[in-house]
Amino acid sequence: MSSNIYLPHLATITEIEPQTPDTMIFRVVLEDSTLAQSFIYRPGQFAELSIFGVGECPISIASTPTRKGSLEFCVRAVGQVTNALHELDVGSKIGIRGPYGNSFPLFDLEGRNLLFIGGGIGLAPLRSLINYVLDNRDHYGEVELIYGARTPQELVFKEELRLWGEQEGATVYLTVDRGDERWKGPVGFVPSFLREIAPSPENKVAFTCGPPIMIKLVMEALEEMGFPPDRIVTTLEMKMKCGVGKCGRCNIGSRYVCRDGPVFTFEELKMLPGELEF
Amino acid sequence: MKAIKKPHLVEWLNRVAQAYDLLGPVLDGVVQFKRVKSTNQLVFDYPNSVVPPKNLFLPQTECLFAFRREGGSIILEPAGGLERERVLFGIRPCDAKSLLLLDKLFNRDLVDTYYQEKRRGTTLVGLACPSPPQRTCFCTSLGIDPLSPEGVDILLADLSDRYLVEVTTERGEALLGFSRELFLPSAGEEKPRREKEKSLEGIEEKIDSLWEDDYWRELSRRCLGCGVCTYLCPTCRCFDLTDVGSTLGGGRFRCWDSCIFADFTHMASGVNPRPTGKERVRQRYFDKFRYIPEEYGVLGCVGCGRCSRYCPVAIDTRTVINEIIARSTK
Repeated sequence: MSSNIYLPHLATITEIEPQTPDTMIFRVVLEDSTLAQSFIYRPGQFAELSIFGVGECPISIASTPTRKGSLEFCVRAVGQVTNALHELDVGSKIGIRGPYGNSFPLFDLEGRNLLFIGGGIGLAPLRSLINYVLDNRDHYGEVELIYGARTPQELVFKEELRLWGEQEGATVYLTVDRGDERWKGPVGFVPSFLREIAPSPENKVAFTCGPPIMIKLVMEALEEMGFPPDRIVTTLEMKMKCGVGKCGRCNIGSRYVCRDGPVFTFEELKMLPGELEF
Repeated sequence: MKAIKKPHLVEWLNRVAQAYDLLGPVLDGVVQFKRVKSTNQLVFDYPNSVVPPKNLFLPQTECLFAFRREGGSIILEPAGGLERERVLFGIRPCDAKSLLLLDKLFNRDLVDTYYQEKRRGTTLVGLACPSPPQRTCFCTSLGIDPLSPEGVDILLADLSDRYLVEVTTERGEALLGFSRELFLPSAGEEKPRREKEKSLEGIEEKIDSLWEDDYWRELSRRCLGCGVCTYLCPTCRCFDLTDVGSTLGGGRFRCWDSCIFADFTHMASGVNPRPTGKERVRQRYFDKFRYIPEEYGVLGCVGCGRCSRYCPVAIDTRTVINEIIARSTK
């Protein structure tokens, strides 16, 4: 008997960490310890979170499998389920299905330099890979992160941004669309900030996630800067329900973002019909 | 090949109904496939059902599990499966063919147990199509034989006073065992033949060249976005998952959904990758004639014609196909 792919596993919220006025990190532990052991995921995958009586939504896993214990989800309150999630307290029960989707191409990365470009909450899926890489530091070359948000207070993972920047062989560049009286750093959109920094494409793979328009402009900029399209990697957001390629709504051409993605290279996206205007 | 006289068919079905839940075509306002308590409810002379029999495997609404809060925890109870094995009598060859495609979709990678259990628990007794076909039928243009036993366990073909009986599986053979004496060796009668046209060779490449064509906008101006073409399509299987009740208790339901609906791909962030009717109509035809063939090696349309028959603004899929062929540069 195959298992029931629509039945979530119960999990308990063990910690809630506010990040911005509308974004929080939820640390979650599966109730069944055997299941928790077998919940093996890779950076770039996502899970379906349930609030029973409200519904379900796909959220990328922001933690790294190199750090056991809890699963982390960085969630912005935008829809019904995410708003309901924000109402919950530590100890509340939610449902989890997953892990789903492909993942970042881990095996092709060894020995490479890595460039991460994030916008807003788009840092969440990248954070999984960044921490994975930093936990296996010897296997990878230089790590750069270019990250921006609309305002300084909308930058997520602020504490980690500082820690990452302190690591040997890692550089963090921050920008905001609009500064405030305390912001001393650069001001400007992520794609133009990227062009200013102009990282070398030498032996480098670039990963980007953020608002759709940012992803588009970043990928175009990277290609112009000499990154081959198969070394420009993004992870896409699309309306999903089932998460397992059955419900029929998250396709771009014949590819389902939940099943064949959410991670795609720019090269792969160019082969698909222009549904996302890439 | 065997044959059964028409009066004996009901006799046989009566015996089958004692061991199985019998489902078949019933005239209840319109012809629809339903569970029958008595074979008297069945109709034998019908073109096809309005709603395809996919709803017996993928119900329009279906509870997947119930949930309730109990103390500090939550209890989940998956919905029960079939109580008894079922026999579906009267499915047409186009609809049987559509189930073979749905099998591929629902069994790919992770198996959809709700669908699979209903499929496994149901023996199919098909009825070959009468001649002439309905004015909207076009299965033969898609290379589908309206007299084919493909996908059913038993196929019956009407020979005026008797049915020719073609058994294709062991399950079908077992079903005959309920009244073996009623099935006589056929006197060499043959099924009437229908010509297959298969005129849609290369439709995948043809539609592919029309991604930017203005035709989709033109078509979408007529389309009301009602979604009836998808609800009545035997290969459409898109669904929504939605919770009913409150956080104290309720159920998670799966309900049919439609790529023609405006909010189908509308994300909480406000982004909608298919913002107008043009993108939505295009998605439907690309899915049938481009994406499904690419993924599964078969067309995503079986030519039942329900979409054309019931479209309130008379969008006819055959016209759309002809336009695709005419406008294509390939």
